[in-house]
Amino acid sequence: MSTANTANAVKEAYLGIDIGSISTKGVVIDEDANIIARSYLWTEGDPAGASKRVAAELARQLEDEGVRIVGAGTTGSARRLVGAMIGATVIKNEITAHAVGTTYLHPEVRTILEIGGQDSKIICVEGGIATDYAMNTLCAAGTGSFLSSQAARLGVEVEEFGKIALTSEKPANIAARCTVFAESDLVHKIQVGYAREDIIAGLCRAVASNYLNNVGKGKRIEAPIVFQGGVSKNEGVVKSFEDLLGQKVMVDPDGHLMGAFGSALLALKAGPVQDGGTGPFARGSFDFNAVQDFQFKTREVECQKCPNNCEVICVYRDKDIIDSWGNRCERGAIPCTR
Amino acid sequence: MLKKFRIKAGSADGADAPSFKGTSAKDLRKRFRKDRHKDKKVAVFRYAYYAPAFKFFVEQVLDCDYLALPPATKRTMELGIQSSTDDVCTPFKHMMGDWIEALERGANVLVQVGGPCRLGFYGEMQEEILRDMGYDFTMLNFSHGIEQGYVGWAKEVMKMVNPDINVPHGVKQLLACGHMMTKLDQARDLYMTCAGFETKPGACKRAWEGLLDALEGCTSAKEVDAAYSAFAAQMRAVPLDKPARPIRIGIIGEMYTAIDMESNLDLDEKLMGMGVEVHRMLNFTNRYTHYNEPNLRRGISEYVTYDMGPTTTLTLAAAKEYAERGFDGLIHAKCTGCTPEIDAMPVLRSLSKDFKIPILYLTYDTETSDTGLMTRLEAFYDMLAMKKEAQLR
Repeated sequence: MSTANTANAVKEAYLGIDIGSISTKGVVIDEDANIIARSYLWTEGDPAGASKRVAAELARQLEDEGVRIVGAGTTGSARRLVGAMIGATVIKNEITAHAVGTTYLHPEVRTILEIGGQDSKIICVEGGIATDYAMNTLCAAGTGSFLSSQAARLGVEVEEFGKIALTSEKPANIAARCTVFAESDLVHKIQVGYAREDIIAGLCRAVASNYLNNVGKGKRIEAPIVFQGGVSKNEGVVKSFEDLLGQKVMVDPDGHLMGAFGSALLALKAGPVQDGGTGPFARGSFDFNAVQDFQFKTREVECQKCPNNCEVICVYRDKDIIDSWGNRCERGAIPCTR
Repeated sequence: MLKKFRIKAGSADGADAPSFKGTSAKDLRKRFRKDRHKDKKVAVFRYAYYAPAFKFFVEQVLDCDYLALPPATKRTMELGIQSSTDDVCTPFKHMMGDWIEALERGANVLVQVGGPCRLGFYGEMQEEILRDMGYDFTMLNFSHGIEQGYVGWAKEVMKMVNPDINVPHGVKQLLACGHMMTKLDQARDLYMTCAGFETKPGACKRAWEGLLDALEGCTSAKEVDAAYSAFAAQMRAVPLDKPARPIRIGIIGEMYTAIDMESNLDLDEKLMGMGVEVHRMLNFTNRYTHYNEPNLRRGISEYVTYDMGPTTTLTLAAAKEYAERGFDGLIHAKCTGCTPEIDAMPVLRSLSKDFKIPILYLTYDTETSDTGLMTRLEAFYDMLAMKKEAQLR
């Protein structure tokens, strides 16, 4: 990394994008790992489009800063697609990215609780290093999607959920194990005439207890505890966690951005892009406009070389295949045209 | 079959018995040996890397034709799902897919093994389902005979499949078949500790596949030994770039899912691809050939008092051994609905706490996605690697 920064030299910075099922997060950090631009918006089922919008938003915030973005990292469920799109140097899974991000900001943390749109995980940390983790399998009960669909049912904005929950004095008891049963329980309670805030507070409690019973099962939850991910913005769930654990739960103001921050940190660690090829890093620094101008398309090809018929996913930038995956053997590999 | 019967009946009263005059004793033996063969096509379900041993069993012990199944595809899985109840454990569905494909390819006999858990009921259930679907076949179900001891089992095999089995030869070859299984497991253990560190990609895999090919052609224990020696020599010659303290992960869990690559989505290969030394005590040899449950349980007596099921003791004993040997992590693999392994999980949790060893729990069903698995494995690897780096610093 260049340290020869003169007064008017542009600073080097790194971009991190976390493309989740529900929301897409982006941050830009400088060489000292300070967040200098941030963006958070809904994915709306279009990861490529959402990333473009995140890039545009970050570019607007950085207009007067005079920074050169020399590296990028992606994480989240669309990390591979968007990683290929922006020519990322680091494409890492969201568990690692979250652990890296949070342990950097809170070196003393022992337990990281994380609830996102469709997944939830717990990371145990010792001495700044993740020592154990668990992630939900087979079931997505009690994640962000569950809360937002229940919010829609109740006719409440999901952003308002937490505030309403805090006004309840006697949270309703709602079955926490399964989303479908929770929903039928909820319908029943509505029909019986429970107060709305009690139902909402009950939902928040259901999310927290479901999390502790499933993902957190058998894990030692030790203070300091950091709670993050989209659902951490919900004060009702935070309070439920504090009640259930009997301990203070920290929520970082940038907690929802931690995946993006972590992947930016990993990109910083990896150093500047060496060869940007023809992508947005072609000129050594990230070109926000190039991302907007390129047309990205994903096509699914069914390999016909054996009866397994793997679905190979090809990502096109304009007319070039820039990445492909999904094949189980070499015969199904589709080479990049660039 | 009728024709044969007629010849035999005919030869009994000596009416048109073939003349043996002028044929040497050697030729006669040869002719009789040939006669023992039954032209039945016998299929065994797909299971991990044991196909050469199954082939050996069918050809050498049962003296029938072996019906080799091609690698499983998505269609196999779909057939299995369609013909099984949803709540059954996942291996049942995999096997149902295998059976249907085998029957479509002309199998007459299906071989199902017995087992000490629900596996013991698989044969019965699967036979009923397949008959209801309209297939005609013989199900050689080991659960039937196995309770009657070795003799009872042998009688059952002869009654169901081939009454002309030369019993002493069959016993000898059955032992050789067990020997082949042991050698296969031994070879896999060697492969799993090396393949993650090869400098020429694919060198270990070629040796491994060469061994499988060689074993397919073996007809005796001696040939099995020769094939293994050739494999071992080839493996030793593969240049490795192995760090002094590599990341070591032990795979533990349920008999089918933890071993079978089709069910666990190439779990061991994925780990080797990341540069991990993989160990798996669970295999056919350790579970059947050399299994001594009470003695195995002695080593984990602080955790368990009773035998909890088919592989639970082995799972826990392996976990403890790996923890004591300072492994970096453990991966517990099981299928949905595997009760014995669910019973093992609380014990594993306390083991994990006592030895400070992280355990990744994986539950597989027919819908498990490759991407989701990869995310978890990558994260597990990153975590172990960062921890190791900090320790070594």
